[in-house]
Amino acid sequence: MFRIEVFMKKCFKNPKGSQVLSDISWLGIKNIAKIEYCPLYLIDGDVKIEDVEKIASELLSDKVTEFCTVSRCSDLNSINVNSSVPSLSSSVSIIEIWYKKGVTDTVAESIVKAVKDLGITKDVKVKAGHKYCLYGTISRAILDTIVTKLLANTLVQEYEIK
Amino acid sequence: MISTNDCKVIKIFNLSDDQLVELSKNNALYLSLVEMQAIQCYFKKLKRDPTDVEIETIAQTWSEHCKHKTLTGPVDYTEISPVLSYKNSGVKKDSNSSHITYTTVKKRYDNLLKETIFKATVELNKKWCLSVFNDNAGIIDFDSKNGVAFKVETHNHPSALEPYGGAATGMGGVIRDILGVGLGAKPLANTDVFCFGNPTTKISKIPAGIHHPKRIMSGVVSGVRDYGNRMGIPTVNGAVYFDDGYMANPLVFCGTMGIIPKNKIAKKVVSGDFILVVGGKTGRDGIHGATFSSARLESKSDVNAVQIGNPIIEKKVLDAMLKARDLNLYRGVTDCGAGGLSSAIGELGEKTGAIVYLDKVPLKYDGLHPWEIWVSEAQERMVFAVPPENKEKIIEIFKKEDVEAVVVGKFTNDEKLTIMYNDNVVVNIDMSFLHNGVPRPIRCAVYKIREEKVQKPIKMGSSEILKVLKASLSDLNVCSREWIIRQYDHEVQGQTIVKPLHGNGIEVSGPGDAAIIFPYTVVKGTKKGIVLANGLNPQYGKVNTYKMAASAIEESLRNAVSVGADIEKISILDNFCWGNPNNPEILGSLVRAAKACYDMSKAFGVPFISGKDSLHNEYSMKGKKYSIPPVLMISAMGIIKNVENTVTMPLKAEGNKIFVLGVTRNELGGSVFTKIKNIKNGIIPDVYPKESKIIMKKIYHAISKKLIESCHDCCEGGIAVAISEMAFAANKGVKIDIDVIKTEKVDLLTAVEILFSESNGRFVVEVKPDNQAEFIEIFKGSIFSEVGYVMDEKRVIFESKKNGIYVQEKPEVLLNFWRSTLTGG
Repeated sequence: MFRIEVFMKKCFKNPKGSQVLSDISWLGIKNIAKIEYCPLYLIDGDVKIEDVEKIASELLSDKVTEFCTVSRCSDLNSINVNSSVPSLSSSVSIIEIWYKKGVTDTVAESIVKAVKDLGITKDVKVKAGHKYCLYGTISRAILDTIVTKLLANTLVQEYEIK
Repeated sequence: MISTNDCKVIKIFNLSDDQLVELSKNNALYLSLVEMQAIQCYFKKLKRDPTDVEIETIAQTWSEHCKHKTLTGPVDYTEISPVLSYKNSGVKKDSNSSHITYTTVKKRYDNLLKETIFKATVELNKKWCLSVFNDNAGIIDFDSKNGVAFKVETHNHPSALEPYGGAATGMGGVIRDILGVGLGAKPLANTDVFCFGNPTTKISKIPAGIHHPKRIMSGVVSGVRDYGNRMGIPTVNGAVYFDDGYMANPLVFCGTMGIIPKNKIAKKVVSGDFILVVGGKTGRDGIHGATFSSARLESKSDVNAVQIGNPIIEKKVLDAMLKARDLNLYRGVTDCGAGGLSSAIGELGEKTGAIVYLDKVPLKYDGLHPWEIWVSEAQERMVFAVPPENKEKIIEIFKKEDVEAVVVGKFTNDEKLTIMYNDNVVVNIDMSFLHNGVPRPIRCAVYKIREEKVQKPIKMGSSEILKVLKASLSDLNVCSREWIIRQYDHEVQGQTIVKPLHGNGIEVSGPGDAAIIFPYTVVKGTKKGIVLANGLNPQYGKVNTYKMAASAIEESLRNAVSVGADIEKISILDNFCWGNPNNPEILGSLVRAAKACYDMSKAFGVPFISGKDSLHNEYSMKGKKYSIPPVLMISAMGIIKNVENTVTMPLKAEGNKIFVLGVTRNELGGSVFTKIKNIKNGIIPDVYPKESKIIMKKIYHAISKKLIESCHDCCEGGIAVAISEMAFAANKGVKIDIDVIKTEKVDLLTAVEILFSESNGRFVVEVKPDNQAEFIEIFKGSIFSEVGYVMDEKRVIFESKKNGIYVQEKPEVLLNFWRSTLTGG
């Protein structure tokens, strides 16, 4: 299984991160300096890393404004998330959100189709998720509030704070 | 039948009443004891126990969502009305000295819907109604070759749990209703109406377990936006109503209008036809969605009740099925909505019977039980009845669009529903029991008509009036919905000729009354247009549901007429969203609204062509149950002969005259004004169809003769708000003489009451001086007056010399008050 993370290049604003930051201040939470958002994808199937790199660079990211990383993983939770976050420091909290098993993941369904259109004929399974890097010293309780009130619907999504 | 790993036999033969209730509860069937007893009795006759698939099939078919048990069931209705008698007869006293007695009227309805709403349609007998209340949508005549179909659905409970997914699938579902009406209509436009809690509520005041209204609003709007925009269907008309009664239970109404050739309106399923399932694969999505609609919202709700939509699949289904329709490759179609395959195949095969092989249904993943496959509400699926000779051809058409199409069974002639799974029979029941076996218990309904009191006369100085005007414009239920509207594509397909916002530029805009679609790309050479409008005011329903319903109907008609619709060619749709109908008072308020529907439909001559009810809008908080403020949302659809004869609401040119048509009464009850000033009393606006209908007819006549430059309906906020909106939408000045506005009795209303009363039946129109004489000639006999003119100077002025009132403000200042409340984010 491969994991793809897509980051905004430093010279560009992270619009979704800024939007979430503004929403968080509306929650009454003030001490967060910056938020970076990056979409996550898991690709599983009998595909080579070159194929996944092609999927990442040609399908899932915009070469002008974004860059992406591809790493191998055995399952969702085996990733060392810290290794793939640029400029990570101790005051960064990472939130990952994925659909629960059985919930329709329409983004993933579209990617499966698009992978075929890229000329990769092997069958792949795809999962799409979200990652938020929150810069600032934030307690676990506040992070839980941010996730449950703003970022994830725990009825259909599960989340992990790292 | 024997239990297998996949399919369980449920032993119900010897269950006591308590055990039957428990069985219903434990399996989320939401069936009453009487219904469970009917099922027990049926299977005793068959001398066997039912399978879980059979129980689930019956629960789905008998659900409130699919069967509308309350609206079509018998009701014992009691109406208690106050009778005022004064101690000193002949001498008018103030309300304090009156003594109230009550009269009671009882009536039994055998079928509330048939004896009110549907009855009006039957009695009106309009020849241009082509299909009413018997298909997925209502259809009226458009021209000699085409009809137009319109349907509005609600998706309240799913939107409360998952606002984005719930609203998106609400939109997806109503689009499929239009695809599944007759042999399929082509969708031309969407509508959306929402009721939310106050989005500015402090987060600390939101009870645990519910989403903040702002999050619900943002999710719902995004869901509707993404589904409509990605399907390439413009979202052209809507409304948003805020009230804290909808905090835990938001309301989401989604509508779709489409065009259908007249020779594709009838569907007929023939024994031997294949059952073809088309579109998305089946997963656990939305299991128990249909039965769930019979339930109130609990803090812990079923995860499987959530559905996620995929508009890309539905768009491909749409494109392929219209091709197959035009090649006459199928005889019947319906959508998989609430209740999934169970509902769709059960409905199509009601008269014939059907055999289904569940193991042939394409699945998203393994591990689904047969009953889950059968009742899953996975989205974007349609069911077709295909003659055997067309099977290959129709599958080929869907394949070309990359849409999965699989034959899962066929329609039979045994009038039974038979379901097979891995060569085992898992369902074998009579269609007649399934569709007609639901018990019809008599429900009790009581309505006590509340006495309404006129408020004490309200007098204010000019500066205070201006302050109230600004507060009215920025009130949540009046202010601009631009943040929502601009997220929608209301232009796609290129046929929206009257759009939701009007004005002289992006920075200057006002609220349009209704949208007009000019379907020239699908009906070549046509000059006709289709008007879509809506009306609702839940505030009135808190006091009087009859007046609320009547006002909603009239508001929708006024909106349609304001842009140029002919009152003689308007049809309407009802959407009831009510609390728990097992409470006699709540059901009583619904009966009273249904009664208003009959009265108004008959009086205005506008037939209901379709409708939907969503009951049990009730939620629990800290152990206490709450019902939502009831809502009747009316959608109106009108046909215009010539789209050149339409008008919009912004003022057009300096020097033009302003007229107010209709009577202003002392009707401030439930108004924006009384909310702002915290006034408890006030008469809820009533409807006077005889007066209003004539004015509506005359407006159509005047617009057809191009005598009206702009027209706007008076509703929330009254004349003051309506005229301000017309002025700031155009960034023009206007001077209004309050003293000459026609009221029910001279000097009975104060200037403030005239400005802010929300009486029905009123329009503000702009007329060129050259057309004034002809215009007045047309309106002779109706109550109206010339009240002012469009000024060169950019100021909005309301003056009453009699009362020494002179209110003035720049239009752009008023615009900013209107635009600044709802900015989303």
